[in-house]
Parts: sequence; C-alpha cells; structure tokens
Amino acid sequence: MTAISEFSIAIQRRVGRQRLRRGILGSIPFIFIIFLWELNTYFVWYEPIEIPPIADVWGAIFFMQSDCPGLVAAFQLHNDCQLSNNIMSSVGRVILAAVVGIPFGIAFGILAGINRTISGYLEPVGIFMNSVSGIAWIPLAIVWFGVGWETTLFIMLNTIFWLIFFNTMMGVRAVPKVLVHGVQTLGGSRFDTIWNVYLPGAMPSIITGMRMSLAFGWRALIAAEMIGGDSGLGFMIFVSAVEFKTEEVFLGVILISLIYLMSDRWLLVPLEKWTIERWGLVWKPT
Amino acid sequence: MTSIDLQQTRRFRWKKFATEGAGRLIIFLVGSVILWALISAFLIERPDRYLPSPLSVVLSSADMLYKGSLLSFYSDTLTRLLFGGAVGILIGIPVGLALGLNRTVADMFYPLMNFFQSVSGIAIFPIIVIWFGNSDTTVLIVVLYTSFFPITFNVLSGVRAVPVRYIQAARTLGASRLQVVRDVLLPGAMPSIAVGTRLSVGFAWRAVIAGEMLAGRPGLGNMIFSGQELDNSAQIILGMVMIGITWIVLDHYLLRPLEADTIERWGLVQR
Repeated sequence: MTAISEFSIAIQRRVGRQRLRRGILGSIPFIFIIFLWELNTYFVWYEPIEIPPIADVWGAIFFMQSDCPGLVAAFQLHNDCQLSNNIMSSVGRVILAAVVGIPFGIAFGILAGINRTISGYLEPVGIFMNSVSGIAWIPLAIVWFGVGWETTLFIMLNTIFWLIFFNTMMGVRAVPKVLVHGVQTLGGSRFDTIWNVYLPGAMPSIITGMRMSLAFGWRALIAAEMIGGDSGLGFMIFVSAVEFKTEEVFLGVILISLIYLMSDRWLLVPLEKWTIERWGLVWKPT
Repeated sequence: MTSIDLQQTRRFRWKKFATEGAGRLIIFLVGSVILWALISAFLIERPDRYLPSPLSVVLSSADMLYKGSLLSFYSDTLTRLLFGGAVGILIGIPVGLALGLNRTVADMFYPLMNFFQSVSGIAIFPIIVIWFGNSDTTVLIVVLYTSFFPITFNVLSGVRAVPVRYIQAARTLGASRLQVVRDVLLPGAMPSIAVGTRLSVGFAWRAVIAGEMLAGRPGLGNMIFSGQELDNSAQIILGMVMIGITWIVLDHYLLRPLEADTIERWGLVQR
C-alpha cells in the first residue's frame, strides 16, 4: 500500500497533478472506444468487413510490410515495402511542397503587404484561389499533369502557397509603421526594413499560416491522392476500400490522423509558441 | 479653360475609379479574363483540352443551362451543404455545451474531440463508403461528420473559456443551473459558436465537393469530375468558377458578417 501511494505521489510530482488528471481523464473515452471495438470482435455485432478486429488492423502493418527486405530497403523505397512507401511518399510530398511553397508564399506575401498596388491585384486572386478549395482543382490538375505525383504536388502547393501568402500579408500589414519609420530614420535601407522589421514582425502570423496550411494541405493531399494519385496514404485507403480490405483502410485512417497530430503537436505548436515568445509584438509588462 | 478642367477632372475621376476598391476589382476581373482568353488563344497548344477560352466556358454553361443539368447540380450541392451542415451544427452546439458544462467531462472529451477534428472527413470517406456504398447517405454522413466536430470542439472550448467569476457571480445571486447555462454560458460561448459555424461550413463545403467527386453523386463536385473523364475542360472550369463564387458569396456576405456581429454583440472583450 505504501509503495503504491509513494509511487503515485512520485508520479504526481514528476508529471504535475493537473496534467496527470487531464491525461487520465482524456484517455478514458479512447479506452472506452477501443473496448467497444474489441467487444465487437467477440460478439460480431458488425461483420469484420465493416469493422475489422483491432488485431487485424495491427496485423495489416506486418502484412503490408511482409515482403520488405529491411529498413535500408524501406528507405530506398523498395517495391515490396507497401506501407512505408505510401507513408514516405505522402510525407515527402508535404515536405517538398512546404520547401517550395513557403518561401514563395512569404516572398509574395511581403511584397503584397508592403505595396498596396500589388496587393490590390494579388488579393482577389488569392481570395478566389482559397475559395476554390484545393479539392476542386483536382480534375483540372489531372487534365494538366495526368494522374501522378505532379497532380498531388500541385494541389498541395496551391493550398500552401495562398494560405502562407495571406497570413504573411496580414502579418506585414499589422507591423506598426512607427517601427518601420524608426529603422528608416536610423538609415536603414529598404532591404533592412524588410529583413529586420517586416519579416520578424510578420513571423508569428507566418507560423500560424504554416500550421493552417499543414491542416488544410494534409486534407487536400489525402483527397488528391485518392482521386489523382498513384501512391501515398490517400491512395492506399482508397484502393484498399475498393478491394474491401477494411483493416488496411482503418490502418490508413489512423495513420493519417496520427501523422497530422504528431507533426502539429510536436513540431508546429512548439514552433508557434517559440516564435510568438521571441518575435511576437505583444506588449509585456516587465 | 473649362474643357481642360473637365478633362482633368475626368482623368482624376478615372484614376480614382481605377485605383480604388470596386473599380480596381472590375478592371482586374476584366483584365484577367482577357489575359485568360489570350493565353488560351495563342500560348496553349490544345486549348479545348488544357485551358478552354472564356467564351467556350460561357457556351458550355449556356449548354448546361439549356439541358437543365447545371441548376439541378447546383441545387443538389447546396441542398447537401445546407442539410448536412445544419444538422451537424444543430447537433454540435448542444453537445458542445453539454460537454463543456462540467470541467471533468470537458477534460475527459477534449482530447477525443481534438483527435476526431484532425481526422478529416475525406480520410474517413473510404470507411463510410464500405458501410453505406456510393449513395447520398455517404455524402451526407461525411458532410455531417466534418461539420459536427469543428463546431463541437469550438463550443466546448468556448464554454470552458467563460471566466469562472461570472458563473460564480450568477450563482451567488441565486441563479439556477439552467439560468447559468442560458444567461452566462450560452452568451459567453456565442463568439466561439460563430467562429465554429464558419469553420464548420467551410470544412463542410470542401467535404461536399470531395464527397460528390468520390461517391459520384450528381452535384458540382461530380460535374467537374465527370468533366475530366469526358475530356470536357470547359465544364471543369465552369464548375470551379461556380464553386469559388459560391463560397466567396457565402463567406463574405453571410458567415463573416455573422461572425463579426456576434463577436461585437457577445464578445467578452472589455472596453
């Protein structure tokens, strides 16, 4: 008894009472759902083709990777490593689109934020492009680029670029003119104002745009892979659904949300917090 | 003398018109359509396939209007959006309120809501198709799902963000539990309800298009998708333009004013 209470006190100290409480409470619904799901495999309220057993979903990982020669081969995109190939092609496309789309979005966003004439022309385009959601571009992209990675990359780029553009523009416009004038008075060139005032001032907004573009872009990417792709997680769940391999569909859906949640929680949220702390123009009483 | 004045004022007026708001937008729209026509006429090898001219898009719309399919597609899509979105929001608000009432319950369901919000409706689409087949039910369920979670999540966090002080004050003055919900929590959560509604409708709109495309139900999404299959690019562009304009109208003239008014009326910003 004492050992248990000592253990619980130690854990409460280490994790924090509130966080522990929230963690335990938050896991209850998940445990309940998993429990119900597991019950379904024993009582078979729904057929396994409708709701596959958890063991099958877990087994699908190994089934899809069964012919994979090894870890090195998985990274070399060996043909037999189905699951890891699909994961890596989805994630790779996100990274590629981010690497191309974010710098362009920031550059055009700053231009439009500084210059009213440019923003007057680019803003309506952006509003329209954002309104024609990424998904609606898929058929035209298929006509232009054919089914394949170009289509999905185009959809992703389209989504990312305009979101980043808008957020950067808003961020640049929100930078107080006083700061710009201050730098100019001290002899700063145009480049100095951009590099040292506008860019840092717009940083929190840019990072928020990055989070948004990941959220929207990931959804658009999954849809694009389903309709116009030839690899990736979206393609995988769509093909598996057509073949009625429900366990693979469940696995894919869980992976899609887990990858999104993890990249958001552990990469973008800390980045956002850090940026706001470092560059946020929030007035802090000292 | 006067003629010069007149000329100057005319030029001035034209300049003002050309550089301000609506005038520039009109010029911009006309300019981009002309640019589009020029590109499709001179730069593209097979314009009917890759970038049909504005004229052929207009002609295709006239053709579809004549056949009556355009309006029926449009109304199908809007009906799905309205029905799915309205049901999702009407279920979502009470559920969010109920979950947010109690701190323990809110703590319990917050991660679950967060998880399901991140599982996009498009991703669960294949599962729904396995359950219900390529039917209208599938599209409606996907729309319902996508609109339900953002609003519930927002209402939940909105209710939780209402300062405990207000609730305690109302309780001290003898308010019953129902009164606290009606007079404190609901108004307090109003801004996040409005934000959530806009978010929900936005996601639902995307889900309608994607759902129609994937399930092959008649609608705008299916119109552009079949346009690709039938090699009829004018139809694709027509559908895209309609999707874009519909969302702009919906967002700028309905949802944004609603959100702004709600925040102005119910927002807890202290003045």
